[in-house]
Amino acid sequence: MKTEPVILIVEDDEGHAILIRENLIAAGLSNRMEHFRDGQAVLDFFFKSGAMPAHEAGQMYLVLLDIRMPKVDGIEVLRRIKSDPALRKLPVIMLTTTDDTREVDRCHQLGCSVYIQKPVDYEKFAEAIRRLGMFVTLMLVPPLNGD
Amino acid sequence: MASPDYTSLTNNELIARLQAMEREQAGFVQELRDVKAALDEHSIVAITDAAGKITYVNDKFCAISHYPREELLGQDHRIINSRHHSKEFFRDLWTTIGNGKVWHGEIKNRAKDGTFYWVETTIFPFLNAAGKPQQYVAIRTDITRRKADELELQRVATELAEKNKELEAILYTVSHDLRSPLVNVQGFGKQLARACEKITAATAAARDGAVPAAALQQPVEETIPQALRFINAGVAKMEMLLSGLLRYSRLGRVALTIGPIDMNALLAGVIAAMKFQLNEAKAEIRVGPLPGCLGDSAQTNQVFANLLDNALKYRDPSRPLRVTIEGRVEHGHAIFRVADNGIGIPREHQPKIFEIFHRLNPEATAGEGLGLTIAQRVLERQHGRIWVESEEGVGSNFQVSLPAS
Repeated sequence: MKTEPVILIVEDDEGHAILIRENLIAAGLSNRMEHFRDGQAVLDFFFKSGAMPAHEAGQMYLVLLDIRMPKVDGIEVLRRIKSDPALRKLPVIMLTTTDDTREVDRCHQLGCSVYIQKPVDYEKFAEAIRRLGMFVTLMLVPPLNGD
Repeated sequence: MASPDYTSLTNNELIARLQAMEREQAGFVQELRDVKAALDEHSIVAITDAAGKITYVNDKFCAISHYPREELLGQDHRIINSRHHSKEFFRDLWTTIGNGKVWHGEIKNRAKDGTFYWVETTIFPFLNAAGKPQQYVAIRTDITRRKADELELQRVATELAEKNKELEAILYTVSHDLRSPLVNVQGFGKQLARACEKITAATAAARDGAVPAAALQQPVEETIPQALRFINAGVAKMEMLLSGLLRYSRLGRVALTIGPIDMNALLAGVIAAMKFQLNEAKAEIRVGPLPGCLGDSAQTNQVFANLLDNALKYRDPSRPLRVTIEGRVEHGHAIFRVADNGIGIPREHQPKIFEIFHRLNPEATAGEGLGLTIAQRVLERQHGRIWVESEEGVGSNFQVSLPAS
């Protein structure tokens, strides 16, 4: 069994996804990473039978979730994950440009693990992702139960 | 002044005194008459006995209540009760005046023709020697207009608060959406700088000016083009957001010319203007007889052009596009239905479609995510509405309502 979680980057902006991935790699992470372009795609990954790609039982996952996305936004994805008994323990890190305190509160209430604001300043952005990478290596992520 | 000793006065003196008193009294009576005339000119006046039975009403009372005097006399004020106030309200009123105190307040009354009017009221109890009220004089001023203005003010304040919230939401969305491309411009700008450093280092390391191609390949073929692609896309995105925002804000300032619109002619115009695209898509458009409506024809034209454009954009490539436009009149509103057999919108995504800059399929089609937001805004300004019913894979059904003409 794999011991490192697969990192799911849920991000509608392709540029952001590339920058996040590059900085995670620069921070020394060698985890497998999957990119989803909107909330619906990652919901399908977890909830839709026969979806491609689909989650695997026994695998560990960690979700990096943007908020404002087409179709289904990150808040709704968070709500769906946290209200599912099998997925509830999945660590979800909100990674978004939004810094509205109401939004941050709402994500914490719904049960996100960490809320990080994407800084516009690239040095800070890279630093935030680097620290996130170090944090991820320390996290103990529970594997998903079989379906 | 002590009363004079009348017994010591002569007859002539008594007559002179009496005449003086009569003159004085006539003066008082005239003064009272003048005051009463002035009061009647300004106020609605009623007098009741101790039990509340009406014993006197002035002309203004009759005029505002639409009751002839004979129908009011002998009745109590329940005849004009509007049922707006609670039992406690009137109990408090009666306790106050029953105890010989003056009561002030605002009362909503009902006239004989069923209309309502508001009066600012003062009830003044006339007390007998024992200090018990003998009769009550009620003096009222018509404040119906002021009450209506107060209500209107409240409505406008609520509407403003809603608009403010809407504006706040837009500001929030836009500031977020503007930040996203900035992250890319900054991030990929940094990558350009790194690529430059690499090339500079390779150049410095090169002997006799010959830079090995291998050292340049990655920055020149991969890093730089990718960075430029994201920087340009980011700048284009910001430019689009800003011009969209300007377009949206300008909408609120355009003066509307509201008038009757011949919707059959309007739709014919919209379809004629899009003939080329519709023919390209081999679209079949059916327009039923449409009722007229009241609105700004240029802005309404834009709404329907937008709906047809959406039908074209989100058509299902596996079948020829069919759009049906029908209309009906319901409760004073003309309701138009634009139904297509396109790809449809999943139920869970439907609430998002009117949100500013929101796009369901940003990769599949071009657009800035403003069309429906603008349609909604344009219709709201004309006291209209837009809503959607849609089923994924079957088609979308947009309905627009405007005041009927």
